[in-house]
Amino acid sequence: MKAGRGFVWALLGAVAVSLTLGGTASAHHSTAMFEWGKEASLSGTIKEYQWTQPHTFLWVIVPRGNGAFEEWGLEGMSPSWLGRRGWSRHTFQPGDKVSIVYYPLKDHRPGGFYVRVTRPDGQVMDALPQRGG
Amino acid sequence: MKSKMLITSALAAICAATLAAVCGAQALPAPGAGAPATRSAPQNPYAALAQLPDWSGVWDPAFMRPAPGAARPAAPKLTPSYAAQYAEYLAKNRTTPGLNFVSDVASCVPPGLPQSMQEPYPIEFLFTPGRVTILIETDHLVRRIYTDGRPMPTDPDPTYQGTSIGHWEGDTLVVETSAILASTSPMQGINGHSDQFRVTERIRLVKPDVLAITTTRVDPAVFVAPYSTTSYYRRHRDWQIMEYVCEQNNHDALDAHGNPAFSLGHKPE
Repeated sequence: MKAGRGFVWALLGAVAVSLTLGGTASAHHSTAMFEWGKEASLSGTIKEYQWTQPHTFLWVIVPRGNGAFEEWGLEGMSPSWLGRRGWSRHTFQPGDKVSIVYYPLKDHRPGGFYVRVTRPDGQVMDALPQRGG
Repeated sequence: MKSKMLITSALAAICAATLAAVCGAQALPAPGAGAPATRSAPQNPYAALAQLPDWSGVWDPAFMRPAPGAARPAAPKLTPSYAAQYAEYLAKNRTTPGLNFVSDVASCVPPGLPQSMQEPYPIEFLFTPGRVTILIETDHLVRRIYTDGRPMPTDPDPTYQGTSIGHWEGDTLVVETSAILASTSPMQGINGHSDQFRVTERIRLVKPDVLAITTTRVDPAVFVAPYSTTSYYRRHRDWQIMEYVCEQNNHDALDAHGNPAFSLGHKPE
C-alpha cells in the first residue's frame, strides 16, 4: 500500500514474518496484484517519473512493432525508501531510454512493479531491498 | 494615547464580561501593577530535559530484522477465534508471501498502535517539558506521550494511536496506551481487537545508535497471555523525516469488495 511500506516487507515477508512472528514486520498492502518474484523485462522511453508517496511511478512508452506504442505504468518503492538509497526525482528524465525488470500484473494489463532499471549510461539501479541486505 | 487607553479598557471590559477564562491567560496588566522586583525567576522547565538520554536524530526501523542466530521470538498465545485468524494468515503467507495481508491501510487508512511504530519508515522523538512526542514518517502520525505525572484519563475516545501516558525509569521511557480503535491491528496477521486492548512500550538505547522498543500487548479477547516483541531502530543523525501523504499517488486502494487492487489511472503529480 503504502507503497514503499508494503513492498519492503512483502519482499522480506516470508523470511521476516516467519522469523519475527508478526512483531516487527508490517505489510500495509498486499502484493496479490502482481506476480511477485516472477521477473519480466521491457525496454522503452520514459514518459514521466513520478517521485511520489506512497509509491514512485514510472510511466514508460514501449514500442510494440508496426509503429505501435503502448504506455506502461510501473509502481516502485517510495521516496521514503529510494530517497535514502541514492535515488531522487532527477533519477529519470522524460525521453530516457531504459530497460526495466519488473514483476508483472497478474491480470496482464500493461503494468507492474519495477525491480531494477538500467539507465541510459548503462548503470543498473536496484529498486528493491536485497534479501539479507 | 487616549484612544489606546480606551481600547484597552474596552478589551478589559469585554474580557470581564464574556471571556474571562480565555483572556485571563494573556491578561493585561492591572492598573498600577509593575513587574515584581523581588520574585525569583521560575525554574526553566526545559533545564530538566538535560537529564534525559540523547535520542536525537532519525531512527530507521528497517534495521529491525533479527540478527543472524538470534533467538526466535515466542509465538503469541491467542484465544481460539484469533488463533484461527492467525493460523490462516501464516498458512497463506507460507504459500504466497504478501498475498494475504489485506487491510484498509492499503486505502490510506492509517495503522493504529502498535503497528504504526513498525512501519518500514523512520520515526523521531521530541522532548519537551512533561511530554515526549513521537513523529512517525508513515502517514505523518503523531503520538503525544504525557510524562508530567497525570493519570490515564478515565474514558478517552478511541483513536488510532490511542491515549498515552509515560514515565521514565532511569533511561527507559515506559509508555502505557489505551483507547486504541478496535478496528486496528494489534499485531501483524490479526485485524481487530476489543476495547480492553492495552499496549505497554519500554523504549531504551541498547547501543549508542540502536534503540530497542519492547512492546507488550494485553487484550483478554485476543491474547491468552501478554504478548511481547522487541523492535530495533538504527540512528541516522543525517536523515530528515520526509513528507508522506498517502493520498498523493496511491494506486493500491482495495476494490469495492475489499480485495487487493491496482489502478493504472495516470494521476497528476
